[in-house]
Amino acid sequence: MTGITLVVGELHDGNLSDATREVVGVALQLSGKEGVVGFLAGTSARSPAAGFGRLGVARSIVVDDVRLDGAVSAVVAHLVVQAADSVGADLVLVGGTTFGRDLVARLGVRWNAAVATEATALTRTGTTLEVRRPIFGGRATETRRMEGGHAAVALRPHAFPPASESPVPATLTPLSIAGVPEAFWAPKRLSVEVAPRGAGPTLGDASIVVSGGRGVRSAENFPLVEELAASLGAAVGASRAVTDAGWRPASYQVGQTGKAVSPQLYVAVGISGAIQHLVGMVSSRVIVAINSDASAPIFKVADYGIVGDLFQIVPALTNEIKRARGL
Amino acid sequence: MEIVVCVKPVPDAETRLRSSPDGTTLDIEAVKFVLAGYDESAVEQALLLKESIPGSKVRVVSVGPPPRTEEVLRASLALGCDLATWVETAPGVAPDPVSTARALARGVATLPYDLVLCGKQAGDDEAGVVGGALGELLSVPDFSAVLDLRWDPATSRLRFQRSTEAGVEKWEAPLPCVVALQQAWNDPRTAKLPAILKSRKMTIGKVPPEPAPASSGSTRSTKFELPPARTGAKLIDYKTPEEAAQKLVKLLKEEAKVFP
Repeated sequence: MTGITLVVGELHDGNLSDATREVVGVALQLSGKEGVVGFLAGTSARSPAAGFGRLGVARSIVVDDVRLDGAVSAVVAHLVVQAADSVGADLVLVGGTTFGRDLVARLGVRWNAAVATEATALTRTGTTLEVRRPIFGGRATETRRMEGGHAAVALRPHAFPPASESPVPATLTPLSIAGVPEAFWAPKRLSVEVAPRGAGPTLGDASIVVSGGRGVRSAENFPLVEELAASLGAAVGASRAVTDAGWRPASYQVGQTGKAVSPQLYVAVGISGAIQHLVGMVSSRVIVAINSDASAPIFKVADYGIVGDLFQIVPALTNEIKRARGL
Repeated sequence: MEIVVCVKPVPDAETRLRSSPDGTTLDIEAVKFVLAGYDESAVEQALLLKESIPGSKVRVVSVGPPPRTEEVLRASLALGCDLATWVETAPGVAPDPVSTARALARGVATLPYDLVLCGKQAGDDEAGVVGGALGELLSVPDFSAVLDLRWDPATSRLRFQRSTEAGVEKWEAPLPCVVALQQAWNDPRTAKLPAILKSRKMTIGKVPPEPAPASSGSTRSTKFELPPARTGAKLIDYKTPEEAAQKLVKLLKEEAKVFP
């Protein structure tokens, strides 16, 4: 074990993403300032890569090429392995986004790495690295020991504090895309439909989620849930009853066949709490349930419950939250 | 189109989770295994593609111990897959996502394939690693979090969407490739009794176990923990909706400390 960690960064709005800042924080703890190397690949990646320096990471490797816009994970993995080997890293860390999970999966083969995703804690004892991660939709937690010479770990977003500003002079080493096999460029990303600004955070990424269920009764009533979400700056979710009925699209669905979320606060409005829904949200830190049926299973997993008519409770709650937040 | 779909048996969602006696992993005694949710979606997707492209075949591959691996393969045959391949595992080998992908790749390599489909992750280890690792092992691109997968015969390209942090991405890709589906059909087809009976008699191809390359990394579960049981909600006493709202906001602020 060399103890050198390569942090694979991601961009958001032209800067290092929040998830990347969290990864840098973990890497600095594990490997110290001298042992962390940044990596960034993308169109115009050069200037944001300097962001590693502001977080205390002096050395970075940059692949700045217009062809990297929409490149598949196979391309990124190819470059990351070159970068990791060039600095003698034995650990690659990346944020647990779609990009990060795809990357570590490839590194498991290409770099013969022990791989873990959704890591919520990392401990290095001597040469042993252990990763803690939620499994079974958050209903249990496992600790896995990473065995072999290399490890690649994707960290669950929001699970770690971001690195603080601690600027050092940064050196950027360029890396070329020349060695990437031509077949990896054949797939084409045609477009990205960006979630509209001001539409609130996305489900997978939000620290607060407000979801509506069958109790909302109709598509016309669903804005009640959305207004509550807006008052909290929350993402909007739904139970399967809502998406099955077509009140909201399938992308809203939280649960076994939808998205699994684990925000700081989850508010379930008119959701009874079928197991298919619970497995997608039970690992939320604090759960609030509003439902007219006191015997609904959602109250067994919730921390706070209001038994009552959501059509009266929810508007009152939205008003109270707006008042408390000065909105 | 030659389609291979990879499936995994996972504990049924209603399973009461318990730790194994040594505390390192899930106790699978008396656990009922079923086809993983996203993999069931992948089987449905494979069969929909087969129905829309004449001359297509769907072959299903799984890896793991008896009897659950054979059961999910037979369940997939009953749904309409044409052929099943079972990659056997050496007894006592603990599963790891990359070693699973290596085993699956050995199964896939015995079959003709244009498209390899799997679910984006399984509801037990939630790793989401098999699709990407399979792509690397087969030296083809892979795509995760895929929705709305279609075949465009005019251009001989797959067209699909991906749901990522950036938003919804539209893609086109030539074959061969690996696709890990996020698509969920809330009502995928169910097997009919005659098909179930027929599937019990079908021959399943077997690929023997093989140790992983010595240089490859792996992971091993050393601890399995269950969260403290939730004790049930603190129910808020109130006379008016306004009072309920005030009390809840106060609790979120002062007790739970999650008020934004």
